[in-house]
Amino acid sequence: MTMTEATTSQPGIKRFIGMDWNIGALKSADRRYWSFVALLGILITLGVMAWILVMTKGGTVMAQRDGFTWGIWFANYMFYVGLAAGGLVVYASVHLFGAEQFRPLARLAVLMAGCLTMIAVLGDLTDLVRVWRIYWFALTPNLSAIFVYTGSAAGIYMVICFVDLWILITGKGGEKLAYRMTLIALPLAIYLHTTTAFVLALNKSRELWSTAVMVPIFLTSAVASGVALLLIVAYIMQRFHVLEFKPSMFRSLSTLLATVMIFDLFLLVAEIAFVYWPSSAKIGHTLRFSEFLTGPYAGIFLPVLILGGTAFALLSRRKTRHIPAVQVTASALYVVAIFFKRYTLMSMGFAIGTLGQPQAPYFPSLVEGLLALGLLALAVLFVTLAAKVLPLRVPEHEHGEEVGAPHAVASGDPALESGAAL
Amino acid sequence: MSDTLHNDVRPDNATAPDGTTFSRRSFLQGIGVAAGLVAAGVIPAVLSAAPTSAEEATATTTAAVPGGGEDPIATIIEENRELNYPGKPVYYADLAGPEKWAMVIDTKACVGCRKCAFACVKENNIGRTSGFTYIQLLEMEPGKLDLDTAVLDYEEAGRPDKWYLPVQCMQCANPPCVTGCPVKATWKEPDGIVVVDYNKCIGCRNCMITCPYGARHFNWVHPEVPEAEVNPKVPLAEKAWTPEKCTFCVQRTRNGQTTACVEACPVGARTFGDLNDPNSDVSILLKTRRVFRLKEELSTEPMIWYVG
Repeated sequence: MTMTEATTSQPGIKRFIGMDWNIGALKSADRRYWSFVALLGILITLGVMAWILVMTKGGTVMAQRDGFTWGIWFANYMFYVGLAAGGLVVYASVHLFGAEQFRPLARLAVLMAGCLTMIAVLGDLTDLVRVWRIYWFALTPNLSAIFVYTGSAAGIYMVICFVDLWILITGKGGEKLAYRMTLIALPLAIYLHTTTAFVLALNKSRELWSTAVMVPIFLTSAVASGVALLLIVAYIMQRFHVLEFKPSMFRSLSTLLATVMIFDLFLLVAEIAFVYWPSSAKIGHTLRFSEFLTGPYAGIFLPVLILGGTAFALLSRRKTRHIPAVQVTASALYVVAIFFKRYTLMSMGFAIGTLGQPQAPYFPSLVEGLLALGLLALAVLFVTLAAKVLPLRVPEHEHGEEVGAPHAVASGDPALESGAAL
Repeated sequence: MSDTLHNDVRPDNATAPDGTTFSRRSFLQGIGVAAGLVAAGVIPAVLSAAPTSAEEATATTTAAVPGGGEDPIATIIEENRELNYPGKPVYYADLAGPEKWAMVIDTKACVGCRKCAFACVKENNIGRTSGFTYIQLLEMEPGKLDLDTAVLDYEEAGRPDKWYLPVQCMQCANPPCVTGCPVKATWKEPDGIVVVDYNKCIGCRNCMITCPYGARHFNWVHPEVPEAEVNPKVPLAEKAWTPEKCTFCVQRTRNGQTTACVEACPVGARTFGDLNDPNSDVSILLKTRRVFRLKEELSTEPMIWYVG
């Protein structure tokens, strides 16, 4: 497995596992690019140091406690797994439903989905203070434990995303294989999101988690935040001339986003109504939910409603929906809203303990925060490097291509040139 | 124990703040002698949800309710089967015997002194700086069985205007922690005791999420016990960064002793014994008294009953 000089006219391009890696683009990258990469490197180093501290000092360096059994890592797990759904939506719409306007996004979307799932899994693993025993997961898996399903689904989904990316870039198997991969990836992604929601919903011990609406609301939040993040990253990629998109693509994405947002907000309001409606209200539920509406946790839950509502209001107006600033603002608001929602969701299991004792709100310790930041930096680093090195741009001739046509990545791929110009 | 029983049923002893609360719940497993005739008809109907296990249990059990009918305890024993049991006992205890261990706690007698919790800490090598005890005592409001208004960190015990509810691992017949452990590092032994393999646990803490009784506690720090007080029969160092919980003092009870909490209780509120033995104190209590279990609606089938 060694890199060989590609037989191309362009210098600095290496061919490896069938893909053209534009290493030369890194050499010609400007100072701003490398400063950003250096910043990410520092964050990743701090994250690794934080993890070493967790491994040597155990739980003492974490703010998690008996009453708050899980912390920021779990909120992030739900958040990242959800964000990865954006990639799937685009991928599936192109290859399954023929939504050609999203085709230029396909490689970026799949790359992001893979990276996000990767840090979701890593976040889980770095929280396990006895992680070196993880092989028991394979040797004696407990089939009645939902963790076995969501953990393995996340791992497989991550691999599928990277394989998909490889197929899209190399063009191996053509459109037919890409279509078949979608048939695998789509059910797997829904399975991943469902099992992640089940980690919460299947606990009769935690009143606010144990609700059947958890799965649909998890899916809508995932798709909404995933599409929103994709839209933001697409704009960033366009800003740095890595990729180019038509305004109509962003408009389609925004319409899709607004539609999913309103479904998501609707389910949330339905859930709140169910908790408080006099004929359905149970004392335990209302008591626990009030911690989030008016109690000490209101600071993390009310932003979900405010930011989410504002984002939808911004996108709901047809006249202004096409304006890039509106699209990016709404998307950013919604991604932040969903982060708060995941954090709230995590806290809902613990705000009042199983024996009825209120718990002080959890705030991650420095070590937990650095660990989370380091993982996020890792994903951003992957995408930053890929933007330079990998041909993320879908060649023009593939747009609207017939099924079965071979995908030959020409050595003169415009993506490489634009990457070099970054 | 029988003296206590007779005292309890006398009307002049009805001062305990429990009657109204408990009567709301369905205590169908516990049949009073007076309610025996009614129960003989009602219980088989209720338990018919699992007809096959009930039939099997009846076939293998000779114990019968006075006055005829099936023995409800037989179905409980049947339900309390081993789960994920790896075929060998947990490394820090002897082999499980033929017993089905259970406990009955008299909430009328309990004064909330926490002597049981202290004895348990000593017996089970619970880290003195770990910040938890297996047994948690809740100070309850009279007239209510409402955990949300209960106080865990009360300072004055034995208040006449309160009642006390000791909570610990219920050794559920249907334990959510065992079904929730992704690597089978916790399981139910043939005698019904739920144990943890500290050398296998990956530290994911999902068992603590799934337990509705807050019975599992994580060793966020290395458990520290003064050298002179270490119980050599109970694991210590390997418990670091894993969850632990009440094991019905498996190191004692499988050697003919009773649990540390039962021994320490100054008012005799706790009764521990074998449900397979129809003449054990717990079996008699379950057959003759009105009992209830905590969060019975979750169908975890706890092996700790409360009697008021």
